[in-house]
Amino acid sequence: MTRVQLIDVTKRFGSTLAVDNVNADIADGEFVTLLGPSGCGKTTTLRMVAGLVEPTSGQIKFDGQFVNNVPPHKRNIGLAFQSHALFPHLSVARNIAFGLEVKGARKAEIQDRVQEMLAMIELSQYADRMPAQLSGGQQQRVALARMLATDPRVLLFDEPLSALDRNLRDTLKYSILDLQRRTRKTAIYVTHDQSEAFAISDRIFVMNEGRIEQAGTQLDIYLRPRTEFVAGFVGDNNAIPGEVVDLVRAAPGESGLVDVRAGGMNLRGLDPGNLQVGDKVLAFVRPENIEVMVNSSLAEEANLVRGHITQIVFEGPTLRLIVDAEGVSIKVTAGGLGRLTLLDQERRDVVLRLQAITLVRDEPAVAARIFAARLCPSTAV
Amino acid sequence: MASVAAPAAATRDRVPAFNLKWLGDALAHGYILAWLAIFALPFLATLSYSLRTPDGAWTVSAYQYVFGSFKENLLLSLQTTVITIIINLAIAIPAAYAIVRYPLPGKSFILSALNLSLYTPAAVMGVSLVIAYAFLFRIPQTMTGLIAAYVVGTFPLMLVPVIVALRDLPMVYEEAARTLGATRMQTFWRVEIPLLGPGISAGILLTFVIIFNEFLVTLFIAGPSTTTAALRVYNLTRTAGFQPSTAALATTMQLVSFAVVLLFFRFFGSRYLKGTYLI
Repeated sequence: MTRVQLIDVTKRFGSTLAVDNVNADIADGEFVTLLGPSGCGKTTTLRMVAGLVEPTSGQIKFDGQFVNNVPPHKRNIGLAFQSHALFPHLSVARNIAFGLEVKGARKAEIQDRVQEMLAMIELSQYADRMPAQLSGGQQQRVALARMLATDPRVLLFDEPLSALDRNLRDTLKYSILDLQRRTRKTAIYVTHDQSEAFAISDRIFVMNEGRIEQAGTQLDIYLRPRTEFVAGFVGDNNAIPGEVVDLVRAAPGESGLVDVRAGGMNLRGLDPGNLQVGDKVLAFVRPENIEVMVNSSLAEEANLVRGHITQIVFEGPTLRLIVDAEGVSIKVTAGGLGRLTLLDQERRDVVLRLQAITLVRDEPAVAARIFAARLCPSTAV
Repeated sequence: MASVAAPAAATRDRVPAFNLKWLGDALAHGYILAWLAIFALPFLATLSYSLRTPDGAWTVSAYQYVFGSFKENLLLSLQTTVITIIINLAIAIPAAYAIVRYPLPGKSFILSALNLSLYTPAAVMGVSLVIAYAFLFRIPQTMTGLIAAYVVGTFPLMLVPVIVALRDLPMVYEEAARTLGATRMQTFWRVEIPLLGPGISAGILLTFVIIFNEFLVTLFIAGPSTTTAALRVYNLTRTAGFQPSTAALATTMQLVSFAVVLLFFRFFGSRYLKGTYLI
């Protein structure tokens, strides 16, 4: 039942700026994800909310109360770590009881609460085991129970699933969401994994280089990326360089359209509001938003592009294609039963319909940043 | 034909032949046992000497003498050792904490300075202590003087294992405890001390073995009322010659050392090592 506010929060480590003027207002009971590449400041932000790191400047408030100078043990928060961080010298039950014991709860009360928590994570029969005797998934569940046992005001998650294998991650992320929904506690979740962020968040804060690039619902982030970084980082994207040739003014209340000439292609996308004729732009198209047509005669229509398939990877549910269109390599993800016809080796010439094109102004530095951001998460894991 | 030949072949395989592998194994085991015997021989010789009368009969009378006359020396040794270990712990754990967890200017210099006493020749240390005790602190030939000398000489042995253990201990346990509502002191006693168990027990063992058997520095600073067991063995051999009773005292010291080490591992070693991040 806690509203968490970060106001102009900045953290410097020596000369490095880890978190740069972050503002966030997280409503009571909301599930917010900080998403970004490693080194983007998301973990530092979370640790400042936990009280483990002191902000260089700015304010952190719980329910309007200034908590900067409150030590972590008095903030009444729960923090889940990447390595479950269960105390290796204590049994499962004693681990869960720890928070209540140090707060001086009565013995009977502690016992009841531990039983309740064990039942919740369905590990009642493991109460006397040592953490080292549990599997990775069980350990993380015990860590969740330990964190919830003290009934914290705010739940904080620092990449709690990144050390687990993929199947386990998928089940546990819904368990976490379920726990949060049932307890109706405010939650802040840090991850570099987009699918995790999209699956469980009410709102996603995309972070880069210590700043929040964009905050919004999953749909906002996915369909209406406001910055180049967000467009490049979230999901897979084709970035097609081009030049604005025409602005189509819209009726009041609607976004205008922009015509872009990219190589031999004529593309039309929504006007982000800051483009002029002659501007260099990047047209972002997601591979899953491209329709592949085999028997289509090419109409002189925007967003229809003639191409040649150069590579096919059959992934089961989807088909990944690389299509050479007017000299530009375009990644395409094809779904539906129709994709199977594309496996035919003879039919290599296709027509692509590019849909939901996002235009952003082309700045050379952006491409390098997106590239770096894509490299970092994979090396970090 | 085949059915006749098969059993013969099977029998041949089952019979263990005297081969090179067997010989190699025997040599390897013999080598290890031989060295073990060489290490244990001095102790066994002392043991057998302590159990003989001068005319060669077996007796335990020398041990009655040990528990009568040497009891005080043994008790003094144990007492000084235990007190020194407690003081060492009280110094080494906070010191290790400060050195590992806090940014300290000149950290490596401080560490080298602290370890200096390990590299000081015992005789040099003995002389310095005699001078310091006589003119500075006025505690010559007292138990306080003895303990002070032991603390100075051995606390690096406690400090170093604790530093190593603390360095290997991830911060995350401390942070988990803090976010669960534990104060700094609660975190220290409930989480860090138990997890530092391996380092602390290594330090205690090292200190015990060294101090309980410490002789050279003691020789310089002990007086008639502060003669430790090790010093008594030396004094007796020098003045009265090598008697069975001296051998009995030496054997007893050896057995006490042994017993303490074994008991320690039995009660602390395995308990603190089990389930920690080390295993």
